[in-house]
Amino acid sequence: MTTSIKTAGQDENLKPGLATGGPERLQVWLGFLRNNTALLLLVALIIAGSFASPVFFTPRNLLNILWAVSILGVVALGQTLLLLTCRFDMSVAAVVGFSGIVTVLAQIGGFGLYPSIALGLLAGAAVGLCNGLLVLATGANPFLITLGTNLLVYSIALSLTHSKTLYATAPGFNVLGRGQLFGFLHYSVILLVVLAAVFEFVLRRTVFGRTIFVTGLNETAGRLSGLRIQMTKLAAFVLCSTLAALAGIIMTSRINSTVANSGFGMEFDSIIAAVLGGTSLFGGHGGTLRTLIGVLVLGVINNLLVLLNVPIEAQQIAKGTVFLLVVWADGALRRG
Amino acid sequence: MKRLLRLLEKRSALILLAVLVAAFAIGDSSTFLTGSNFENIARQIALDAPMVFGETIVLIVGGIDISVGAVMAMSAALAIGLQPYGTPVAVVAALAFGAAVGVVNGILVTRGRIVAFVATLGTMSVVTGMVLTYTKQRPLVGTDENFAWWGGGQIGPLPVPLVIVLILLVAIWVLLEHTRAGRQLYAVGGNHDAAFLGGISINRALVGAFTLSGFLAGVAGVLVASRLDSASSQLGGDAPLTAIAAALIGGASLLGGRGSILAAFIGVLALGVLSNGMDLLGIPTYTQIAIHAVILVAIVAIDALATGLRRRNAALLRISE
Repeated sequence: MTTSIKTAGQDENLKPGLATGGPERLQVWLGFLRNNTALLLLVALIIAGSFASPVFFTPRNLLNILWAVSILGVVALGQTLLLLTCRFDMSVAAVVGFSGIVTVLAQIGGFGLYPSIALGLLAGAAVGLCNGLLVLATGANPFLITLGTNLLVYSIALSLTHSKTLYATAPGFNVLGRGQLFGFLHYSVILLVVLAAVFEFVLRRTVFGRTIFVTGLNETAGRLSGLRIQMTKLAAFVLCSTLAALAGIIMTSRINSTVANSGFGMEFDSIIAAVLGGTSLFGGHGGTLRTLIGVLVLGVINNLLVLLNVPIEAQQIAKGTVFLLVVWADGALRRG
Repeated sequence: MKRLLRLLEKRSALILLAVLVAAFAIGDSSTFLTGSNFENIARQIALDAPMVFGETIVLIVGGIDISVGAVMAMSAALAIGLQPYGTPVAVVAALAFGAAVGVVNGILVTRGRIVAFVATLGTMSVVTGMVLTYTKQRPLVGTDENFAWWGGGQIGPLPVPLVIVLILLVAIWVLLEHTRAGRQLYAVGGNHDAAFLGGISINRALVGAFTLSGFLAGVAGVLVASRLDSASSQLGGDAPLTAIAAALIGGASLLGGRGSILAAFIGVLALGVLSNGMDLLGIPTYTQIAIHAVILVAIVAIDALATGLRRRNAALLRISE
């Protein structure tokens, strides 16, 4: 499976260089469409939403959407980094719950605000390190490995909490999740945008970032050029898990409590958001700012479904359908 | 010689089973080695086995099916929820739903050209949404008393679900080993291009395999529904991983072209013996989940290492020639 993915990436990479003959205009058009589908979709959804519901296009509702997506957004940023290397992490769901639990347990155990947050992040990083080492050492399918570690981390989280809800104790902890700048813009939203911008910069302008792209496009070429491919892959796993841990801590801070399954479904949603934004499932194409747009599309869809009184359960169907459509379109446009 | 090697490879599932049985027999012989406990194990694995069979078929043809757990849950919900229209209608609807999802998976993979695990991940999400919508997140309870026979009844000394599973086992074994369609599945999974050049319809093989997998997940759903006489949205959460793991224990490979249905059955048996033994030894649920997860990860990792070894050997052979 991996080999076919890699060759697809290579062919893709060759195309722009070989822009001779053929319907070039069509190529440009398809390229434009491919690069801006998420933005077009977002604008279309916002316009449609404004007509469909009078509440939708109000500052308060729009800010609510931003706040609602800010946690998933942080997870999706990490997932994007891994997707760019042509890998996945299905264990982020368990890590979101696990990191919150570690943080709260540390607070209960007498650690201060910052040490407890650091411990939560460290717990996430440790899971990421395990994922990365397992995948790199065995060459196994990262999807199945992380599906397994997801179950493992979840069971640890369950045994730590005995399936009960834990409440945060550190004073000032809820500023991270509930605090607002100028009384209307949540800190978690600002954090998400800043992180997206920072990682976009890292991806475009640093050796590490460029190596991530090369890893997704053509590992062998990267290795032969002397790039540290293995270290980059490991770092991507650790970053992805650490960002998931950060999301878990923000979520815990927002509701001041945590349960083992608080990240339920986030592994899937974060991949959908990244792919919606235009990050390829086959590595090498995309970026974190795009993922921000993908997350917003998901947030607007969810918000509209709620405003239009669609049963909450049906949202899952909508998400899955959108995911399949986007993946199909992604492949079709790339081939076209 | 080749036969011996093949036997050795296929025996890994048997060895695992033997070790587990021996360990639990020593650990808790008073309950483990009793007829009623073996019946328990048989009833338990009979619920997983159809899904594992389906997953094995899909793995042989070179695909993977993540949607089996969700399909099982939805089929169970249909088999219970549609009972007011008559149990036969409910069961047929449940099985047809499974097969239909399988067809959709097959079309997404062939016509839509979406990688199998991404496509089935998508259908998993959609079907999970259907389960949530249909059950409204409340457990459904059966109305037909006779329905429980399928999951709980007996034919002579044998539990009904075990008989059903054994019939499925023989049917699939004949299909895979003794029909043209079955051999074509191996050919497609083993070498896509060679199969294509040999005049095999790749698309038909893939759609067929996914349809069978969906149908078999539907069978699992009906059996589970009958056994519990109820259905809920909680069913089938880690089913895909368990199904894939059992198939891998049975010698299937994520690269396709390999695997046998008999060994896959032994794989399910081994996992069934494991959970049964852990229950008997009084291991807490959280620890059981953890042990399960570690074993699943280990199986996937070992499969990957073995595949790497096979590739290296193949490369060495080519060089020496």
